[in-house]
Amino acid sequence: MHAIRHRAFSFRRVYAITTNTLTELTRLRVFYVLLIFALLLIGSSIFVARLTFQQEFQILKDVSLGAMSIFTSLLAIVATARLIPQDVEDRTIYTILAKPVPRIEYILGKIAGVLLLLLISTIVMSAMFLAVLYAREQVLLHETARQMSAAPHEQLEDALRGVRASAWNVNLVPGITVIFLKACLLAGLTLFVSTFATTSIFTIVVMVFVYFIGHLQATAREYWLQEHAATWTTRIFLALVALIFPDLQSFNLVDDVVAGAAIPAALFAKTAALGVFYTTIYTFLAAFVFYGKEL
Amino acid sequence: MTDLPRRSGAEAGAAVAVRGLTKVFPVPLHRQSVVAVCDLNLRVEPGEVYGLLGPNGSGKSTTLKIILGLVSPTRGRTEIFGRDSTLVDSRAAVGFLPENPYFYKYLSGEETLRFFGKLCGLRAAALQKRVDELLELVGLTNARNRRLGTYSKGMLQRIGLAQALINEPKLVVLDEPTAGVDPAGSRDIRNLIVGLRGRGITVLLSSHLLAQAQEICDRVGILANGLLVREGRLDELLAVENQTELVLENASDRLIDEITAVAAKSNARVLAHRTSTTTLERLFLDATQGNQTGSTSVEI
Repeated sequence: MHAIRHRAFSFRRVYAITTNTLTELTRLRVFYVLLIFALLLIGSSIFVARLTFQQEFQILKDVSLGAMSIFTSLLAIVATARLIPQDVEDRTIYTILAKPVPRIEYILGKIAGVLLLLLISTIVMSAMFLAVLYAREQVLLHETARQMSAAPHEQLEDALRGVRASAWNVNLVPGITVIFLKACLLAGLTLFVSTFATTSIFTIVVMVFVYFIGHLQATAREYWLQEHAATWTTRIFLALVALIFPDLQSFNLVDDVVAGAAIPAALFAKTAALGVFYTTIYTFLAAFVFYGKEL
Repeated sequence: MTDLPRRSGAEAGAAVAVRGLTKVFPVPLHRQSVVAVCDLNLRVEPGEVYGLLGPNGSGKSTTLKIILGLVSPTRGRTEIFGRDSTLVDSRAAVGFLPENPYFYKYLSGEETLRFFGKLCGLRAAALQKRVDELLELVGLTNARNRRLGTYSKGMLQRIGLAQALINEPKLVVLDEPTAGVDPAGSRDIRNLIVGLRGRGITVLLSSHLLAQAQEICDRVGILANGLLVREGRLDELLAVENQTELVLENASDRLIDEITAVAAKSNARVLAHRTSTTTLERLFLDATQGNQTGSTSVEI
């Protein structure tokens, strides 16, 4: 065999770790969470069938998008928290890093594996949600057409348009995208915490606190700024708090989507950029801490 | 891309060179700290089997981890084939088997080797060929599709050795390679190590099983409390200079008496006269070999 020349950075090595991480998470059956989502979806669609169609679609979207947000967040935290501590405990990390694999590649491979898992989960959950939404829409269109068979054509068309408008809304796409990005951010932050945590339980407990503080911090910040003059030191302090506890409430665009309101493009772009920024920062902070870690 | 490996300085030519190595672990919330390795100097020549011996906690594993760049030294320098071992590319020609490895339980033996092969830059047909060769070498061809979660301790150790060899390394580092393995599995691993030496591969191993180290090591270093207390060629360290052993087959009492008398004439003395015995390990292997369905003999 010819000697293999070493590359300082190799996407192939990162890809090998990414696919291995995805295999690990898949074989640990984390996708069971999708089954729970499917059951929740079917259950709620049976329950809402007794309401008016506007209420039905609104509740279906509310429950589905809310569950999607919670499940992806949960998946991001639980799946990421165990990755590094488990590798250290099993000493697998020694065999990987004793190969010519830079530590940054290990971290990038791990996070990419989790992000891929979150992407697949989000796509599957979205597909299930949209399929149920479409099925209910078709049933209601059929029922409406049957009930208004004697009504004038234009009146019937208006009614059918009303049903369609209540069901599918283009704002669902940015809404779901932001849910995915929030999960990515949480995965990045969990990975960062796990680089200095000794157990996955510690990481999960810390992340539960971060999750709740992250949802409350915007309110706390507004209150703080009202009570105190916004000096530079105050702003730096608040920026640091925002870095440690990201404003997760700003990723909550689902309420607008459920209400049928349009998400402004600028707001979506800003939120998406924030998600990408936080995920990147946390990944590099994780790589920085992991670089100096004694194994 | 970087050049591999660049030899330099006074240690050029050594497979592993350790100079003035000290590692101190601070103990959180205490003023004291633990000195794991203290001013260690050693040199492993290419092609030899070097045993780092010592009791538990003597600093063997820490030394190996520093050599592999997994732990940073407090002071001193370690090199692999003349290249600073803190650099990632110094490990391009190195294989490592940690103590009691578990690997990924959800992967099969073949998948495990494929994963580590990809990390070493192997691809496609070359990777498949190497995986097949190594599964054959460690006697796990029949268990290639079984998940590692179902492997025995000895099988895990053998798949561990196979992953250490995936990149055809010039140096193999083994941390307690036979710890917790039964005598048959231990013998297989010992044969594999001897085979590596036969192919010119340098082996650096740590062990506290002295009888095994005695069988396979060319040179040893003995660590105690982080200090290297003895080092040298095994035959030199163990030799009792003024004594010679003579093993006879079918010797009668009369012959023994004659030898004793001849020795006395030359101012020599027969110190002991006893019937040769086998080792307990040999006895165990002979007794159990016929019943070993899971065990595989290994030839290199």
